[in-house]
Amino acid sequence: MESVVLGTGALALLVYALAFASPYGLRVLTVAGVYALATFGFQIVFGLGGALSLAQGAFFGVGAYVTGILGSRYGLGFEATFPLSMLVPLLLALPVGLAVLRLESHYFALATLGIAQVLHLLAVNLPDLTGGSNGLAGVPPAVLFGWTVPRGLPMAGLVWGLVALGGLIGWRLARGRLGRSLTMLRDDALAAATLGLDVGRLRLAAFGISALFAGAAGALAVHTQRVVSPEVLEFPVMVSILTIAIVGGRGRMAGAVLGAVLLLHLPEWFRFLERGYLVVYGVALLATVVLAPDGLTGLLDRIAAHRIAVRLFGRKPRPLAAAKEPPLPPAHPSGLSVEGLRKSFGGVRAVDGVSLDLRPGIITGLIGPNGSGKSTVINLLSGLERPEAGRVLLGGQEVTGARADRLARAGLARSFQAAALPDEAGVLEAVAAARLAVDPDAATAEAHARWALDRLGVGGLAGRSCDGLPAALRRRVELARALVRRPAVLLLDEPAAGLTDGEKAELAAVLRDLAGEGMAVLLVEHDMGFLLPLAGRVLCLDRGRVIYDGPADGVRRNSAVAEAYLGPAGSA
Amino acid sequence: MAALQLLVNGVALGAAYALVALGFVLVLNATSAVNFAQGDLVMAGGLLAVALAPLIPLPGIVLLPVVLVLMAVLGLLLALAAYLPLRRRPPVSVFISTIAVGIILQNGAAILFGPEPRAAPPLFGDDTLRIAGLAVPEQSLAIVAVAALLIGAQQWVFARTQLGRRLRATAQDPEMARACGVPVTAMILVTFAIGAACAGAAGLLLANRYFVTPTAGGDLILKAYIAVTVGGWGSVPGAVVGALLIALFEIGVSSVLSYPMALGALYLTLLAILVFRPQGLFGEAVRRRG
Repeated sequence: MESVVLGTGALALLVYALAFASPYGLRVLTVAGVYALATFGFQIVFGLGGALSLAQGAFFGVGAYVTGILGSRYGLGFEATFPLSMLVPLLLALPVGLAVLRLESHYFALATLGIAQVLHLLAVNLPDLTGGSNGLAGVPPAVLFGWTVPRGLPMAGLVWGLVALGGLIGWRLARGRLGRSLTMLRDDALAAATLGLDVGRLRLAAFGISALFAGAAGALAVHTQRVVSPEVLEFPVMVSILTIAIVGGRGRMAGAVLGAVLLLHLPEWFRFLERGYLVVYGVALLATVVLAPDGLTGLLDRIAAHRIAVRLFGRKPRPLAAAKEPPLPPAHPSGLSVEGLRKSFGGVRAVDGVSLDLRPGIITGLIGPNGSGKSTVINLLSGLERPEAGRVLLGGQEVTGARADRLARAGLARSFQAAALPDEAGVLEAVAAARLAVDPDAATAEAHARWALDRLGVGGLAGRSCDGLPAALRRRVELARALVRRPAVLLLDEPAAGLTDGEKAELAAVLRDLAGEGMAVLLVEHDMGFLLPLAGRVLCLDRGRVIYDGPADGVRRNSAVAEAYLGPAGSA
Repeated sequence: MAALQLLVNGVALGAAYALVALGFVLVLNATSAVNFAQGDLVMAGGLLAVALAPLIPLPGIVLLPVVLVLMAVLGLLLALAAYLPLRRRPPVSVFISTIAVGIILQNGAAILFGPEPRAAPPLFGDDTLRIAGLAVPEQSLAIVAVAALLIGAQQWVFARTQLGRRLRATAQDPEMARACGVPVTAMILVTFAIGAACAGAAGLLLANRYFVTPTAGGDLILKAYIAVTVGGWGSVPGAVVGALLIALFEIGVSSVLSYPMALGALYLTLLAILVFRPQGLFGEAVRRRG
């Protein structure tokens, strides 16, 4: 169905270009292709990765200037200028991205806008290199294998050929490991990190790819115009790309094409506005953000879903991959051991000198009254907080102060108190996301995810959406997410909260099994009836300190534990 | 003496920038949303003054209340169209919707006024006073006085009045404010109106000495943003101090090198601050709200 729609669209464009388009119409169509290409990159960094880069227009301009300068001043040919037009924006994006990609979204937008303004200033104020505000004329046409591509149909063909190629690459990236990892960290960066995804590196990759697409588009724009001027670096280019992406549909390659063809033709239909076509873009952008946040492709999807129960551009229900057991990583004979962990918040010692050992095959319970520091301990162990003092060894290796994603890749998994599942994703997708950092491709990750769901007795959920799952099932899916990574150490934050007695018994059996296989488990729990029969050893925290560390059956008789929960004897 | 002269010019420019940054940070605190259209609102205020001048052939100071009221109405419209429908969506939606409003304002202005720079009438007069060897344009003094008055009025409203208490409660914790009976939505609308009025006043003040073009908003939003980043994200006094620092930097570097160099240096400084001290020079005043 999807290919039928795309094929029909492509055919319609082809028929229009060959039979009906005037030379001017062909030019508009060519420019639409150029913008579609630039928007593919923007869909990856912003649509999928959620990083609002306002430098996409600037990278487009840099690509344009590289081709313009090298072509008109140094007479270099297409085979040299085109790759360089992609390479230079990439070289610019990498150091900038390294510096600012870990910042919050609005700072990133600001920083990229600052870069765009600096580049525009340079283009205007370095006339010896760029021709200043007049720019450079006499850029040669593109030459392919000795054939000079003339204006009109051949140039349109070249551009749209590259659009098809770029769209295919972008589409594959979006559906593959990179695209899914990016979506995952866009929706919940913390959860993504605890699943082993390196947020900074993924965003950098997306930013770099966006620069490659923008540079290629800029080069083609200059071959179409045959001149380059500071206009290519001005904000309207960025505005157009942003509007195309949002109106077409965030993160969708088909949306980029649809948006580009539509928006580049809009000014032709609003001729009376002359150069004010950008007002129309502004209105289209505002209307889409407010009324149809999924853009045109999302709208078409929904209409189609109502009428014929098939998604046009989105993911069709695919046959599920066969379940496959993920390989066990090399065992960590020494588990996780922690000495003298300390963390304060605003002068309050939340965790004060905690030492513990999580041995393979042992379930360790962590208890304590509310506010005693249990969750902070889990956050410290999983790398979401950095300890002020103390030492952490994972599998015998020093990992003190390591980031969450590194700890996750070293064999640590955790669950969250409020199961952190993305609502829009399907269950299988959500569990497979936990394998993206290790598996070679998305299909393998899904096969492994099915194994984990089967193992926990919820294989039937694979085709369902996370949205609207009852609490017990959400927790089971969350556990599958941890389990599918075959962790050596598993940290669970109140996994039994809100479960019925029957469900608790099932969970206890699963945890016993996992420990039996050699996993080291830390269980933060309030429910003593659930925890004590299960745990080989129990630690009790009070005001950040360990006040009990010993066998589970000693907890109930310990006076310090009773005092922590009930207050000093006699006062109550 | 030259340095003192630059200081006078820098403070006048900084006073106008302070109004821009103030409007930006008030909206930021009340909604956690970045109003990208703030720079274009300044431009709109400037061009509004240009358009009103032939209708009201009086000094700029008489135009000021008219501009304030009309811009406050524009701020209300902005909130109704681009903020309220999106308040339950991720923050990036508001960022994009205000970019859209900025595009509409900027290009609407280009259609109505054309691309050439325009000047608004001076607040009182065009004379230059000689004070102890310094050339002090009357307009510069008027800018500083009017900006100080407006910022003082804003501070007084926020600190001393019932409305101000409600506005502050909304900025601190909207859920809690709502629970205590504060009409949060109305307070957010009022904040947008005040923010746009501040921008409009800044536009009127700037549009005499520095002229105004439809595309001026881009640089102004960056400067407001830098002022707020330098002053500590969310800090009101920090934003005012940040704006003064930026203006002094801009005037100082321009006098030695050139305006484009000053602008370039400012943006590069911003990048350096973001990389090395993202919490701002004076620390971050508000943490991200969930």
